[in-house]
Amino acid sequence: MFLAPDGDEIEIIDAAAGFLADVMPISRLHESGSADMNGTLRRQMGEMGWFALALEENKGGSGLTAVEHALFFREIGRLCGSLDVLSQALAVHVADGDLRARLISGDVGVALAVRDGGEFRLLGAPGAALALEVNETGAWLRDVSALAAETRSSLDPATSMRVSTAMPDAVLGQVDGPEVMQLARLGSAAMLIGLAEAALDLIVDYAKVRETFGRKIGAYQAVRHACADMALRAEAARCQLWFSAAAIKEGRGDAAIHLDAAKHLANQAAIANADANIQLHGGIGVTDEHDAHLLLKHAWFLAKVFGTKRALLGRLLDARVED
Amino acid sequence: MDLTYSDADRAFREKARGWLSTNVPTTPRPAHGAAAAQFDRDWQRKQYEHGWAGVAWPKDFGGLGLSGLQQVIWYEELARARAPHYINTTYIALMHAGPTLIARGTDEQKAFHLPKILSGEALWCQGFSEPNAGSDLASLKTRGVVDGDAIAVTGSKMWTTDAVYADYQELLIRTDPGSERHKGLTWLIADMKTPGIEVKPIRTMLMDEHVNLVFYDEARFPVSNVVGQINKGWSTALSTLSFERGLGFIGDQLDLYERVCRAIDLAGKVRLENGQRAIEDAGIAQKLAGLKADALAIRAMTLAHITESDRTGEPGPKGSLMKLTVTATHKALSETVGDMLGWDFLEFDGDRASHPWTYDYLWSWVFSISGGTSEIQREITADRLLDLPRAR
Repeated sequence: MFLAPDGDEIEIIDAAAGFLADVMPISRLHESGSADMNGTLRRQMGEMGWFALALEENKGGSGLTAVEHALFFREIGRLCGSLDVLSQALAVHVADGDLRARLISGDVGVALAVRDGGEFRLLGAPGAALALEVNETGAWLRDVSALAAETRSSLDPATSMRVSTAMPDAVLGQVDGPEVMQLARLGSAAMLIGLAEAALDLIVDYAKVRETFGRKIGAYQAVRHACADMALRAEAARCQLWFSAAAIKEGRGDAAIHLDAAKHLANQAAIANADANIQLHGGIGVTDEHDAHLLLKHAWFLAKVFGTKRALLGRLLDARVED
Repeated sequence: MDLTYSDADRAFREKARGWLSTNVPTTPRPAHGAAAAQFDRDWQRKQYEHGWAGVAWPKDFGGLGLSGLQQVIWYEELARARAPHYINTTYIALMHAGPTLIARGTDEQKAFHLPKILSGEALWCQGFSEPNAGSDLASLKTRGVVDGDAIAVTGSKMWTTDAVYADYQELLIRTDPGSERHKGLTWLIADMKTPGIEVKPIRTMLMDEHVNLVFYDEARFPVSNVVGQINKGWSTALSTLSFERGLGFIGDQLDLYERVCRAIDLAGKVRLENGQRAIEDAGIAQKLAGLKADALAIRAMTLAHITESDRTGEPGPKGSLMKLTVTATHKALSETVGDMLGWDFLEFDGDRASHPWTYDYLWSWVFSISGGTSEIQREITADRLLDLPRAR
């Protein structure tokens, strides 16, 4: 029993953090047209094998587990990383043969299709011919190249959004069962927790240098206590994330329940920490040039996918966990 | 990262569950007074006689020498068996005084006191806080004057839990008259029957008298009762407090999940003022499910912290986060149950057994103030975990 990154897991974190700091810094989002991954970035990530960490080796993946998947997407989240990185890493579990190979390498991109009443929201990868839909019962990969989708203005500079009234029937790949949703929920929870941690780091760094009334703002209890609450939200969600990732890896019967709790806590921690980060920064926190608003806007998108409050809490109410 | 219990851990759980299933007291713990203290002594004696006393203590000193993880298992099984495990009159002896004596006591002090603590023969109370030294412990003023082979103590201690029933007290006093703050203090074993000690109960909002004022008027204690060195008591006190930060609330942490599940069962039975069952109310259902997620996270945090400190050999810096979330979740659960119980929640005669939810609600302030207030826990977090500029 050990519930923190350890040994090889720490190497994965360091490798991912080092790579992503170069290719996907949060500063990218201050340039126009920076939403989503572009083709160059996608192929760079594919070359490193990041989309297929948790895919079996005989399918062209690294044969790692839910734990490494969570560790990687936490690093993505820390940089306000694109949602379509996750869609791509899920799609490799849904496609076969040549298509799978092209998804692993980043040769083709994939958008996420989310049902919204009778319509579909297509998130990320605006030029992509593929869209992935995931729910509790399975996952479907479709060719959307002929689909007429209307571009909508997205609140989140990191994620583009289109709307379509239909979805093609033809399926290029399909997986039955909850496994893809499990990786989706785990990955998005990990991104939210990375984001909650990034918000905490931003304000703690600022509180050590910014002065008002002749003192560093980090010496005021009004700021210190709010930061402590941010640290608690991140810590609680992170520990539950590690628990659920290890539970999935070990095939525990109650893994889905722990994951529901982890996503719920991650949703809360990310939005609350991004909120507090803006507020504690003061005026500079609401400017476009600052990163603070990027975290908040991205948090809302990640909280809306793969497990929202009402569904998660509805299942948790009657669920019982094992020892 | 792994969640696997070793064969030894699993065997320990089976053994603990088996013993508890037939040995947990069948009568509820009396709410207050001498009867409660006697109940605690008897339950401690039973654990001692069957080889279950001192789960956190090293084997060399009569304990079970369990790893942190096995202690977690023990408290989980206590919660499952609904055994008496919440903070009671044996708490200071087992969780403060014993570990401090083990770390800093003389051989004579250990030989005399440790068996009495394990067997429930001796109850202890804490003598750290004063009327003007609570969160700011280092401002304490109760003075001790060394006079030959005795120390004469004069002053007062406050918030001393169960002082009326305690046999001994861990007493922190100022022995260097010109000293300030953390310097010049001494940690002393005080026999509560010593002449010159007077205990005055303080009635609380829980309609009980579990905390007390203790007055010392030239009360004389042998110098041989000093634990650690004279004028170096702060260092001894820190070993007391660090043990508490690591494991002090472990029972409450692990009990929360079971209590949330009991509240959800209750919500399926009670009816709201509109005739609906409480569980059918979306607001209440969502709150309870959210509390279950919080309780699961508290368990995950406990396991993460305990397995980390099993590896490093010392408690980490996150005990303050733990106490913050446990006390906040405890209060939120009480409030949610209070909302669904309606007028029944507003009946209270001070008895925990007959009014458990109301009692726990009132207890929530004791919980978030004692052992370092929530505000102090946020300060400690800001200093030690976040390294923010000091507020003081």
